[in-house]
Amino acid sequence: MLKVEHLTKVYDNGTVALRDVSFTVEEGEFLVVIGLSGSGKSTLLRCINRLVEPTEGRIVWNDVDITALDEAGLRRVRREIGFIFQEFNLVERISVLQNVLSGRLGYVNPWWSLMYYFPPEERQRALEALETVGLREKAHVRASDLSGGQKQRVAIARALMQEPKLILADEPVASLDPVLAHSIMGYLERLNREQGVTVICSLHYLDLVQRYATRVIGLREGRLVYEGTREDIRRLSDEEFKRIYGEEAQRLGG
Amino acid sequence: MTFWRRLLHAVLSLLVPGLGQAWAGQFRRGFYIFLATFSLAGLTVFTAAQRARFPEQVYGLSFTVFLRLTVLAFLTLGALLLLYSGFSRRVPQDEYTRRMTFLGFLLVVVLVYFPLVGPQLLEVAMPPAGSRQLYGTLLMTMAAVVAGLWWWNIVDAWHVRPDEAQMGWSGLIALTLVGLLILGNWIVEINVPKAIREYRETSRILGDILWPWRAAFDYRASELRATARIQAPCPPGSQPPPVNQPRDDGPWVVVEPTCGQLSTRDDKGRLQYGTLLTIRGGGFVPGKKVKIKWENPIGNEFTPRGVGPTEIEVGPDGTFETQMYIPDVVIPDIAKGPQIHKLHVVQPGALRFTGTLSREMKLALQAMLVSIMMGFMATFVGMVLAVPLSFLAARNLMSTLRVSMQGLLGGVLGLSLGGWLGLQAAHWVSRQMGGLEQAPVAVALTSAVLVGGMALVGFRLMGRAQERLMAHMPAAVRTAIRMVGLAALLAVPGALLGLGYARGILALAWPPEEVAVVEPKLMWAVSGLAAIVGLVIGYRWPESRPVPLGQGIYAVVRLIMNVVRSIEPLIWGLVGVIWVGLGPFAGFIALTLHTIAALGKLYSEAIESIHPGPIEAIQSTGANRLQTIMYAVLPQVLPHFTAYSLYRWDINVRMSTVIGLVGGGGIGFLLIQWIRQVQYQHAGLAVWLIALTVATLDFVSAGIRKRLV
Ligand SMILES: Nc1ncnc2c1ncn2[C@@H]1O[C@H](COP(=O)(O)OP(=O)(O)O)[C@@H](O)[C@H]1O
Ligand SMILES: [Mg+2]
Repeated sequence: MLKVEHLTKVYDNGTVALRDVSFTVEEGEFLVVIGLSGSGKSTLLRCINRLVEPTEGRIVWNDVDITALDEAGLRRVRREIGFIFQEFNLVERISVLQNVLSGRLGYVNPWWSLMYYFPPEERQRALEALETVGLREKAHVRASDLSGGQKQRVAIARALMQEPKLILADEPVASLDPVLAHSIMGYLERLNREQGVTVICSLHYLDLVQRYATRVIGLREGRLVYEGTREDIRRLSDEEFKRIYGEEAQRLGG
Repeated sequence: MTFWRRLLHAVLSLLVPGLGQAWAGQFRRGFYIFLATFSLAGLTVFTAAQRARFPEQVYGLSFTVFLRLTVLAFLTLGALLLLYSGFSRRVPQDEYTRRMTFLGFLLVVVLVYFPLVGPQLLEVAMPPAGSRQLYGTLLMTMAAVVAGLWWWNIVDAWHVRPDEAQMGWSGLIALTLVGLLILGNWIVEINVPKAIREYRETSRILGDILWPWRAAFDYRASELRATARIQAPCPPGSQPPPVNQPRDDGPWVVVEPTCGQLSTRDDKGRLQYGTLLTIRGGGFVPGKKVKIKWENPIGNEFTPRGVGPTEIEVGPDGTFETQMYIPDVVIPDIAKGPQIHKLHVVQPGALRFTGTLSREMKLALQAMLVSIMMGFMATFVGMVLAVPLSFLAARNLMSTLRVSMQGLLGGVLGLSLGGWLGLQAAHWVSRQMGGLEQAPVAVALTSAVLVGGMALVGFRLMGRAQERLMAHMPAAVRTAIRMVGLAALLAVPGALLGLGYARGILALAWPPEEVAVVEPKLMWAVSGLAAIVGLVIGYRWPESRPVPLGQGIYAVVRLIMNVVRSIEPLIWGLVGVIWVGLGPFAGFIALTLHTIAALGKLYSEAIESIHPGPIEAIQSTGANRLQTIMYAVLPQVLPHFTAYSLYRWDINVRMSTVIGLVGGGGIGFLLIQWIRQVQYQHAGLAVWLIALTVATLDFVSAGIRKRLV
């Protein structure tokens, strides 16, 4: 269970990105965060694994106060939280396999890993993860040679290597076309359904939200302005959706 | 813009160039005009005054004299300008005529101002005792330029408006440029006639340097040589050497008699002839000269002087005949037995190519190799050391490195303690290994690892310990410890600052005894002040606020790298020579130091320009700092690092060829030696080798770089 309590983030330049945001995510939920561009979705997700340092408030995950952890503790928590970025954030100049293996850095012997060595069973695990996302044959291709959809699948395989209990996905399909979007969301859904991994995902498209979310929260100017269950979203009309989301909201299928 | 306003601006600019413009609100314009006018005038006066210290060259010039000169030029030019404007109003206003009128006006200025008005102006402006002719034209021209600027500035002030300038910048820039060109020509002492006149002397040396290859090989002189033996002096009863006989199979010489008396010199140094020798020879190349050489009993060969001809034409049949007195050879009294001399007849022949490299060429090749390896080693070592430094100097990596105040205080204590312990350990290890001389690399490496490692471990452990300990303390204790710790931390740099101020600033003006008295007091005072500041900061510092340690390290490393980089490798070469003596090691040190700083900067800029995304991605997997660097940073910067290193290798080999000029070994060392010994052909060899190496290297590194990108 993840509890976000009174979370506030003020950036160094004075921008208030989150204002007193509180909510709870139960184990196994697929929580979708919606909101206009600039409403604080990325900031919220990044605060959870402390890529961004919260200014105030607490984030408690399974009774561990993430905001109070020291560096070593933070690393131990981070390795169980997968993070999927909109821009994939693969390391372009190394191979796909190396990219996937790097998801294991929090677990393996750090000294060996500094010499780019991973034990055979870890390499096997990486190949299996690639198998899962259907990219087994691309293992030894340079990451820069992949298409956008393939890169995001590699990013998912990297997250799989972490054996995550929680996945944070920041607009994972915003840079992809509709067909690819469904395939990527499909992987996340399967993880959520089959392995019970909690997913917190920010999304842009209403039909994706309705299709995948079990619960939705809406942000506007850093404030939590909407909370709804699966049923609430299904009943949500385009007009209501636009009210929360703003005019740029659209359906994926058109 | 009223008339009176315009007049005010013009008058102000007449008094002080640029003032009118400034008054009208165009401060920058006014400042530039002022700067241009006065720097030209000032430079003219300064240069003339400097030259005046060598009285026979130049007549000195004071500012007031130049000012009078300028004012006169100003008035003359004004009159001419009036004439021009009056005249141009009367002629038709088409473009062509106006242009021609302007050119005609310029011609009048040159024809009238310089030859007619100029000398009169000089007459008025210069004290009669001065040598008026010297630099007259030059000063006149400068006065005209300054006066022209002055006029331009007045007209400009008349037109100027608060919001925009009317006349553009071209007049100011053109006049300033003309003035600077004239001054520059004078100061640099450009003298084209001299360059043309004295070129001829240079061409021979230039030839040696441009095509020095004869000096690259050994040549054997294929000379013809015949020798006869003569005994002198000739005491009674001596057994003279046998007389030679002519032969057919080679050069021969017959000297008669083979025993005789030496010539001598009397008290006044006049030569008293000894026995006259008849010399016949044959078997030489017809039509060329032979030389006669004398070899004394102890084997010294010389050309005899004043006793007969020493260069004789050979007849068409290869024979010759001549006469010569036995020269004056000093035979020491202690010499025993018959004194046998030798007479050589030598006919120099063509030089024969032997196909072997000359000694100098071998030296040059060896030195070239030294240079190339010096450059290579400096690049490699510099590269290895620059990589870790560049990470410390990359803002994006370092700005995230923060520690808590308590952690910092404990850490610094641990750092010093660990460093000290590491030093002791290093001493002990060094003794076990038999000292630095016995195993230099091993000792240096283990020492560095021990000191650095233990200092870092100390920082880490003590920092953690302090944080843990303080977490259980009441707030008052925490605050007190923070205050004391910060005070102690700041007191050290404070003491250094006081000391530096006394030795660096005070010592400039004060006598040494007084500085010595004040020095300790100042040190304590500043140190105490810093400690008080530390107490205050410690008191006010919020417990949760982190210290941007990374930013501090970044600033310090960058500063050091910038300073080291801005000092030329040649200067570092001097330092190296003082440090380890003449030779390639000094050059290596110089190049390495500069390389570390230069590459460190380039590398760190490469690091700063990487995509932050992959770093966040790797951090999100729970990777630690080093892992993040190895997986997210290194792959991104490696291509840049390689390209920069190759580029630096290029530079270093170039630099290594000149670092020898200051004693840093390698080809430059040889080159400067040969130049000093006036051996231009050998110097030419060195120059060629350098050029060839650099060209080859350019080619190779360009190829490698192309393949990399
Ligand atoms: N690193 C940063 N520094 C300063 N302001 C930031 C930074 N990142 C985001 N912001 C600001 O914070 C607000 C929320 O941004 P973000 O969390 O990226 O919103 P979203 O992901 O919903 O588009 C925006 O106003 C944005 O400009
Ligand atoms: Mg975003």
